[in-house]
Amino acid sequence: MASSSSSGLTFKLHPLVIVNISDHYTRVKSQLSLPPSLTSTSSAATSNNNNNNSNGGENNQNPPPRVYGCVIGVQRGRTVEIFNSFELIYDPSTRSLDRSFLEKKQELYKKVFPHFYVLGWYSTGSDAQESDMHFHKALMDINESPLYVLLNPAINPAQKDLPVTIYESELHVIDGVPQLIFVRSSYTIETVEAERISVDHVAHLKPSGGSAATQLAAQLTGIHSAIKMLNSRIRVLHQYLVGMQKGDIPCESSLLRQVSSLLRRLPAIESEKFQDDFLMEYNDTLLITYLAMFTNCSSTMNELVDKFNTTYDRHSRRGGRTAFI
Amino acid sequence: MDSAIAQKTWELENNILAVEAPNPSSDFIFYYDEVAQAMSLKAKPWGNDPHFFKRVKISALALLKMVIHARSGGTIEVMGLMQGKTGGDAIIVMDAFALPVEGTETRVNAQADAYEYMVDYSQTNKQAGRLENVVGWYHSHPGYGCWLSGIDVSTQMLNQQFQEPFLAVVIDPTRTVSAGKVDIGAFRTYPEGYKPTDDPISEYQTIPLNKIEDFGVHCKQYYALNITYFKSSLDCHLLDLLWNKYWVNTLSSSPLLGNGDYVAGQLSDLGISFLCT
Repeated sequence: MASSSSSGLTFKLHPLVIVNISDHYTRVKSQLSLPPSLTSTSSAATSNNNNNNSNGGENNQNPPPRVYGCVIGVQRGRTVEIFNSFELIYDPSTRSLDRSFLEKKQELYKKVFPHFYVLGWYSTGSDAQESDMHFHKALMDINESPLYVLLNPAINPAQKDLPVTIYESELHVIDGVPQLIFVRSSYTIETVEAERISVDHVAHLKPSGGSAATQLAAQLTGIHSAIKMLNSRIRVLHQYLVGMQKGDIPCESSLLRQVSSLLRRLPAIESEKFQDDFLMEYNDTLLITYLAMFTNCSSTMNELVDKFNTTYDRHSRRGGRTAFI
Repeated sequence: MDSAIAQKTWELENNILAVEAPNPSSDFIFYYDEVAQAMSLKAKPWGNDPHFFKRVKISALALLKMVIHARSGGTIEVMGLMQGKTGGDAIIVMDAFALPVEGTETRVNAQADAYEYMVDYSQTNKQAGRLENVVGWYHSHPGYGCWLSGIDVSTQMLNQQFQEPFLAVVIDPTRTVSAGKVDIGAFRTYPEGYKPTDDPISEYQTIPLNKIEDFGVHCKQYYALNITYFKSSLDCHLLDLLWNKYWVNTLSSSPLLGNGDYVAGQLSDLGISFLCT
């Protein structure tokens, strides 16, 4: 069912959407299974089992619930940027979508975010299913080609990639019958600066309100690990290219073209205009640091002078210096 | 991996208390116990002690939403409400939503306009499965720090009379972006005439001259609460994987370019204060 998309749209996903969906899912799941502290002692064992088993989704009593919701964002030309999302009420057994609820929510969100439009819908699960097409078609009267964002809530520690996939719908002719099927699309993660900082903050959960030194250390660690990532990726590329040169790995011309275009972009930093701007910024920062140091020094001096005056004050005591007790 | 070892060494050297790694069984903070909440609302243990609430726990989602909303306002103050519950001496904030009012410091009753929105939103949320009640409000102070202004103090005192338990949160998105750490503060006011017995020393923050008077007059009428954050196990997992994608943004972000006018404003403020002394 899922082949690669051919619509040519680029998708940008904001981390807020991912956290939103995950929160919705966690909420619904925890409301369904009572926490162990609240159940009576006799059923504590079974609810403990519930909590432990629902991790893998393989639970006899209740499979993890599917949650449904709507994603909103902006579409500019060929770029689709998904900013936010909200929950929807959908009954999978009767396949009915609560329309009035959707409209109400849309209205509310329009008041606060007037630029965002409904771009599609989201759900949780491991794979796109046939039944999802009904929901998809229901949304088609709001947006002619809605997106389907699927999050896989199973926590798999070996996984390296985000368990989020974006599907589009395309009309394909199968067995002579034109049918809508889901096709996978690729996406990139896009962040606003503030978003990145708060995601970073929460992701690493360093103790908040620490002294300035720990905050600085935290930020530097972040940059350090980012540089380490870059370094490791470049190393992998380098090894790959060396392997290709030796002949161990078959030559792949598309990859070589990409690498050469990347390398050709590097000299952009060497231009004179860049150096001028860079040095100007650098000087500005140094000046400000110098100024801050000055202010600090002058305030310390001020304090010192005040203390000196208080200890050696000649007018209030009977003349001369007093012993420093 | 080297980075993991480096992080562990750093954590050890700085005595970082490891926050217990969330596992599925500890996700029960997300469970809303209606009966227990109703009982605690009736008992009102905060009625007698103005210093009752000492801590705030903010969920990852709420923090993200509040910071993004605050930043999207630019230099205009924005505000919104927070939903959550109480847990002992802590207020737990699960979610936040924006209100369609752009506040200026002179509007005392900004919430009167937004009541309809609030009621509608809370109703739809309850239908969709978010059962928590409104437990506070947040607003932004772009560029001038996290504290409560005179208007904020009177609004919060009113809230604490009629809508207990209620919390005030202030976010500074400009300082967040320029410092690289989230600038946020959570406050509760003392009732009229109450003198706090101990004087907690709060972290120093520079406040521009045109606001310093407002800050000084009211700074004894409220106290700051300690903020911690929490996230679910799924959030943990997803955020770890997200890091693989956005390390590029970490490297490419430049706080200097984004905040030129803020820095210039701070410098001119510094110049004026030099002249005054």
